[in-house]
Amino acid sequence: MREVIHQYGVELDWVADIAPKLGGYVEGNYIIVPGEERPGTRFILQINENITVFVINVSYNEDVIYKLRNTRDDFVGVYFNLTEGDAVHVLNNMPRMAGRWACNLAVFDAGLNGEYIVKSGSTTFKLAIFIKKTALKSYFAKDEHYAQVLDSVFDPAQNTIVKYDRMSNQAWWLMNELRHTKATGPLYEAVVTGTVYGLLSDYLDQMINQEIIIEQVIQEDVACIIRSQAYLIDHIAEAFAGISTLAAHAHMSETKYKKLFKKITGFSPNAFFLTNKLSFAKEALETGNFTIGEIAAQFNFTDASHLIEQFRTAYGITPKEYLTLL
Amino acid sequence: MTGENIRSLNYYYTLGPDWQHQIVKSLGAQLIDNKLLIIPEDIASGGSIFLEVAPGLSVHLLDMTFHVPVAITRLPKDHNYYMIYYNIGDEISTHILGDTVHKVGYHSKLGMGFMDCGVKGVIMPPVGERTYSLRLLVDKTYYKSLAATNRTAEVTDLLFDESKNTLFFYSHIDSRSKVLLNELKREHHFSGSSFELKLKHIALYLLNYVVERTARFEPIINKLSQQDIDNILKTSQYMLDHLLSEFPGLPAMAEMAEMSGTKYKVLFKKILKESPNHFFSNEKLLLGQRLLQSGDFYNVKDIAYELGYNNPGYFTKLYKRTFGATPADVLVSKKMRDF
Repeated sequence: MREVIHQYGVELDWVADIAPKLGGYVEGNYIIVPGEERPGTRFILQINENITVFVINVSYNEDVIYKLRNTRDDFVGVYFNLTEGDAVHVLNNMPRMAGRWACNLAVFDAGLNGEYIVKSGSTTFKLAIFIKKTALKSYFAKDEHYAQVLDSVFDPAQNTIVKYDRMSNQAWWLMNELRHTKATGPLYEAVVTGTVYGLLSDYLDQMINQEIIIEQVIQEDVACIIRSQAYLIDHIAEAFAGISTLAAHAHMSETKYKKLFKKITGFSPNAFFLTNKLSFAKEALETGNFTIGEIAAQFNFTDASHLIEQFRTAYGITPKEYLTLL
Repeated sequence: MTGENIRSLNYYYTLGPDWQHQIVKSLGAQLIDNKLLIIPEDIASGGSIFLEVAPGLSVHLLDMTFHVPVAITRLPKDHNYYMIYYNIGDEISTHILGDTVHKVGYHSKLGMGFMDCGVKGVIMPPVGERTYSLRLLVDKTYYKSLAATNRTAEVTDLLFDESKNTLFFYSHIDSRSKVLLNELKREHHFSGSSFELKLKHIALYLLNYVVERTARFEPIINKLSQQDIDNILKTSQYMLDHLLSEFPGLPAMAEMAEMSGTKYKVLFKKILKESPNHFFSNEKLLLGQRLLQSGDFYNVKDIAYELGYNNPGYFTKLYKRTFGATPADVLVSKKMRDF
């Protein structure tokens, strides 16, 4: 397994450092890795003094472990990740699936270390946006909900910026527009820049509608919550395990567990479970291989009408209408 | 209303925010953060936002309802930028008198224009109606570098040689751009970080779409004078205002444009991207599409006659060829809506 110990940042000095570790070299805004089966794109663009983006669109032909060890902590990384294949985030030896089927949007304070394993044969399409905390803070300053708690949110002694979330439909659309753009020339730079602004705008809207939870989070706690999320996803076809069981698994009190879970995922454990259950049910529906009744049974809904009701609440239309719109 | 009562505003854009001071001076507008313009309430409600998006690209979004007529003239300037204009409103408006559609009421206009800052522009925004428009200002050298990826170096150099060619066209807004602009229009106000980020995103995507679209245009190399432009647009507007009649014919249109038939055809195609004949019949069909969806007619036959086709079957055939569906599939009939 190739081991890549690296760092990120808004300033671009990390680019020349990571290229040889990937077995490649820097050419303009690109990192070229010779000998890749399907040569992909690794494109870096500093958009302004506060924002840099790293676009990764590659197929892996070897296993790689990335070890993120930032030396700067003046930025936040926002990762939009559409990976198909086996890719795993590891925080404190706690693995979790990343990419298309699990949490495909992650936000990390640069101060948190992380590890990321990608298996050979995976296809990654990922946008990593690095944004200065001062700039992010000024974006939130204009929102009235955030204005009062802003200093606490951005004070590392009181709060750690960390979140695992799911991309919105708008973010999916933006990622796909970018994916279909030829990755060369000044027009590509314009589309990448436009995509980053669109994703940030969408993410701000998403954040502003979520409850703000100020809490300093230590790496061990993040790892426990992530393991708990992974447990819920692994048991998505079963009934909800219950807060007391989940809190005990996470070695936390129920109160602390509920609070941290909501901070990191944006959902209560129960809502997270149901949202993902519905999302898996929707994927199953899209295959066209199952009836609504079969899917209801498969994912442990009481019956078909329970699934239909929950589906309509979540997506605004019934499963049947959804199928006709496909 | 006499001419003296009409206020006039003369201005020109700059790639940076400086141009806004002209509006402050002439209309008494309020300028906030060097990007938000608020117009005095006795002239218009609403305002505009101007952002520098990237080096060589700025965007101006305007959302206003004018209360008095204002003749707005954009002065030609020897600056180094192109202006791309999008008017996001109903492109065809129909005014209904009583329960019959009044023929004079069809008003069709083209929602998008691409022009050199050296070309003059005059608009008179409708009074009492919301005007929602967006303009991209793009540095010429930057635009050339974007467009160069889609053409050979030889064609690019010719297209951008200002001694030989003027870049200028008028058109409907393409559907990808329209989706983005409608999304923007749903936002309630200009303020907030997420709005500014969204506006920058949309400006860059619109730029990408216009570059992709213009790459498909057949290059017609001609230097245009202001008079050429005004004359050609006079004939295209005449056709848009007379869509219910028959095609007026090339000789009549060339005469109106004060040009030879040959020159007229070439310049018309350069600016409107279609021959005069095609332009007219396509616009007629687009109006037909609107009438089909309007719910003001009982059947396809009535619409075909309204549009001036003698044979409803011919309308159906043309419509199907253009839109891929029959008029009957699209028709919202008057009876149905009344239930």
